[in-house]
Amino acid sequence: MAGLTAEEWEVLRLSIKVALWSVAGSLPFALAAAYVLARASFPGKSLFDAAVHLPLVLPPVVIGYFLLLLLGRRGPIGSLLDEYLGVTFAFRWTGAAVACAVMGFPLMVRAIRLSLEAVDEKLEAAARTLGAGRWRVLATVTLPLTLPGIITGTLLSFARSLGEFGATITFVSNIPGETRTLPLAIYTYTQVPDGDPHAMRLSLIAIAVSLAALLVSEVMARRATSATKGRDAAY
Amino acid sequence: MLRIDVERRVGSFAMRVAFETDAQVTALFGRSGAGKTSLVNMIAGLTQPDRGRIEVDGQVLFDAATGINVPAELRRVGYVFQEGRLFPHYTVRRNLLYGHERIPEGERYVRFDQIVQLLGLDDLLGRRPGDLSGGEKQRVAIGRALLACPKILLLDEPLASLDGHRKNEILQYIELMREEVRIPMVYVSHAVEEVVRLADWVVLLSAGSVAAFGEVEDVMGRPDLAAAGAMFEGGTVIDTRVTAQDMDDELATLAFDGGTLTVTNVDALIGEPVRVRIRARDVSIALDAPQRVSIQNVLKGRITGLDIGRSGIVNVSIAIGATSLRSRITRRALQQLRLGVGLEVYAMIKAVSLDRS
Amino acid sequence: MLATRSSTGSRVAAAVLVAALGVAGPTAAQAQNLTIFAAASLKNALDEIDARYQKRSGEKTAISYAASSALAKQAESGAPADIFISADLDWMDYLEKRQLVRPGTRSNLLRNEIVLVAPADSKAALVIGPGFPLAAALGNQRLAMADPDSVPAGKYGKAALEHLGVWPSISDKVARAENVRAALNFVSRGEAPFGVVYRTDAAADKKVRIIGAFPANSHPEIIYPVAQLTGGKSPSAERYLAFLKSPESSDIFRKHGFVPY
Repeated sequence: MAGLTAEEWEVLRLSIKVALWSVAGSLPFALAAAYVLARASFPGKSLFDAAVHLPLVLPPVVIGYFLLLLLGRRGPIGSLLDEYLGVTFAFRWTGAAVACAVMGFPLMVRAIRLSLEAVDEKLEAAARTLGAGRWRVLATVTLPLTLPGIITGTLLSFARSLGEFGATITFVSNIPGETRTLPLAIYTYTQVPDGDPHAMRLSLIAIAVSLAALLVSEVMARRATSATKGRDAAY
Repeated sequence: MLRIDVERRVGSFAMRVAFETDAQVTALFGRSGAGKTSLVNMIAGLTQPDRGRIEVDGQVLFDAATGINVPAELRRVGYVFQEGRLFPHYTVRRNLLYGHERIPEGERYVRFDQIVQLLGLDDLLGRRPGDLSGGEKQRVAIGRALLACPKILLLDEPLASLDGHRKNEILQYIELMREEVRIPMVYVSHAVEEVVRLADWVVLLSAGSVAAFGEVEDVMGRPDLAAAGAMFEGGTVIDTRVTAQDMDDELATLAFDGGTLTVTNVDALIGEPVRVRIRARDVSIALDAPQRVSIQNVLKGRITGLDIGRSGIVNVSIAIGATSLRSRITRRALQQLRLGVGLEVYAMIKAVSLDRS
Repeated sequence: MLATRSSTGSRVAAAVLVAALGVAGPTAAQAQNLTIFAAASLKNALDEIDARYQKRSGEKTAISYAASSALAKQAESGAPADIFISADLDWMDYLEKRQLVRPGTRSNLLRNEIVLVAPADSKAALVIGPGFPLAAALGNQRLAMADPDSVPAGKYGKAALEHLGVWPSISDKVARAENVRAALNFVSRGEAPFGVVYRTDAAADKKVRIIGAFPANSHPEIIYPVAQLTGGKSPSAERYLAFLKSPESSDIFRKHGFVPY
C-alpha cells in the first residue's frame, strides 16, 4: 500500500479541493451566524438557531434533495445564479462543495459560537476606552480571541466534508473527476463485484486524511489558546 | 474641567449625581454599591445616563437635551479598570501601544519610553499578561491608559485586587504619575487611606447621590458623615493583630507590618485581627529618639512625603516598615526641624482608636 | 473476478462500508415480517401488488427498493431478506454463486425495455439508431443514467449505446445516479436534458416524455428474476412468491408497463 494509483490521487485531490472550497465559502457565513447567535437578541432567534442546526439532524439525502430543488438549473435560486452570474452547481464540483458546506455548517457555527461566548466583553469595553471603534475592536480583540473556535470549527467542517455522501450523490450525482469524492468512490467500488479491495484502500486513505485533519485541528487550537493565555494559564 | 450632572435608574437603584471639579485628583469615595463604578462608566461612555450632561475639558460628551452622545472610543477618557483588563493575546508592549498608535503625533503628550521608565516596565515588555503578577498587571494597565493620551484618567479601585505590599507599591507609582504627568484623574475607591493619600478633592457618594463634596481634609474629617461609610479624619488606618495581652497593666500589643503598638482597652484575644485608626493630628515627629516621655508608642520611620496645605498645616507621610503613617504638623515645625523627604524621624503616637465595625 | 483475499474478510469489509455509508435498506427487519428486496424500477407496480397481499393475508411486509447492485451487496453482508427481485440476471447469479439463493426457488418474473427520455417540455427530436447524434444533442450538458458499472438499468443503457457506437462520444458526459429512479428524477426536474431509464419508469412520471426506445438487439435481454434468499426467516416467503406470479399480479405489472415473463 505504498503509493497511490493515479486514479486514487485524482479522487483524493478532488475531495480535498471540494472540502477546501466548501470551508472557505461557508466561513464568512458561519462567523456572521455565530456572532448573531452569541451577541444579538431578536424575535425568532430560536428559530434561526434551529434552522442552522437542521443539517445535523436531517437525513443528508433530504438536504441533497432540497439543494436540487433550490439550486438546480430550474430551481428558484439556481436559475437566477445561472442567468446573471453564470454560476452553476448541477453536476459540478461546485455543487459538491455546496453540499459539503451545508452539511458542515452547524459544526462550524457551534464551535465558533462557543469560543465567541467565552470572549470577555469587558476586554472589548477596555479597547473602546483606548480609542478603538467597533470594527477595530472586532478585528483586534474579538476575532483573535475567538481564533481557537474558528480553527476547530473550520477543521471539523473540513473533516465532515471529506466524509460527505448522501447530500452529494443526491444533488450532483456521481461523476468521476467532477463529483466523485472519496466517499462516493468508495461507494462505487462496493457496488461492483470485484471492487472490495479498492474500496478498502480508499477507506484507509479517507481515515488517514480525516485523522490528520483532526490532529492538526487539535494542535492548532491548543496553540491558539495558549497564545491568548501565556505560559502559566492561571489568568 | 469635569462637569457632571446626571440621572440614571437601573431597576430599583436610582442615581442622581451633580458636581464640578477642577482638582488634579478627584476621588469618588463611598461604600460598595454607592454607584461609583456606574458613574465612572457614564463618564467613559460605556453606559448612558437617562438624563443629564457630562462635560470634560470644555467638550460636551453627553447631553440628553441636545442629543449629544459621543461614542466611548472618541471621548479620550482614559480608564484603568479594577481587574486591569489587559489583552491576553498581546504582549505587554502591544498592550501599551494599543491606544498610543492611533494618536496623531502632535497630540501625544507622553512618550512610550517615558512611560516605560516611569512605571518600571522595561523587563516586562516582551511578556504576556498571563505571565504577570497582579502588581505588574496594574502597572501595565496604568501605562496603557496613559499612553492613549487621554484628557482625563479614570481609575476604578485599581488597588482592590492587590495585597498590602503591592498596594503600597502601586500607590507610589500613582503618586509618581500624578507629579510627572499632569493630567486630571478621577480616583474611585472605598479605601480611606488611598483617598487621603492621593486626592485633593473628594466626592462622597452614598446610595446613588452626592452626600458631600470638597477638599479631602474637610470632607474626610466631618463626624456627621461617619454613617456614610468608613469616615474618619485625615490619618491612617492600620490592620494589626494582637500578639500579647498584659493583664496587669491592661495593655495590649498590636503588631502590624512595620512595628508594634501598645494600646489600652483592647478587648480581643491573642491572634485576633484588629483595625486601628490614628488621626494625623495625634502623630508628632521628633528627630531624635524621645527620652523620658509618657508616650508609649514611638515608631522609627522615614519621611516619604510632605504636603504643604493651607492655614500653615503640613501633612507628612512617614514610612514605618511597609505601613505609611500620616502626621500633621505646623509649617513652622517643618522649618524648625528642617524636615525633608528621606529623613529618618521618630513618630510619636498619642492616641489610637479601635475600629469596632 | 473475485478478490484474492478470504471471502470472510471482504464480506466484513463490505458490511462495514455499507453500514458506514448509510445506504438505504433495512438494517433490522422484524423477525417475522416478510422482507422483500426489489429493484428500484418496480416501485409503483410492486407497491400496489404488495398492498393487496397485505390486505388479503393480514400479514405485514417490508419492501426495500434500491439499485439491484446495492441490494445484492446488502444480502451478501447478511441482510435478512426473504425475497429478491433483481433487474438483471447478473446480480441474481452473483448471489446464487455465493449460496445465498434457496435452491429451486429461482425463476424469471418480468421483462422490460429501456428508453431515452427528456423533460416533458423538451422539443428534442432524435431517432435512435447506429451513431445517432446524442453527443451533439447533449452539448455541454449531461445524460442521466443509473451507474453504468453496477446498476442494471445503467448496464443495459451502456450496452445499448456501445452497440450503437455512441458510447465513446458521451461516456464522460454521463451523470451517474444511485439508481434508475434517481436518474429519472434528474430528467424530470429538468436538470439533465436526456436520460436512460426503463419504459416503466417513463410511464410512471408525467414530467418526462419518451424520445425513443433502444432496439431490443442492442443490449442483453432485460429480465427480472425472482428468488427466495437463504437469509430470510419468514415462513410466508413461498406464498408471497406464488402471489407475485399469479394472474392478478401479472395484470398489475402489465398495467404499469412490464411484460410478465
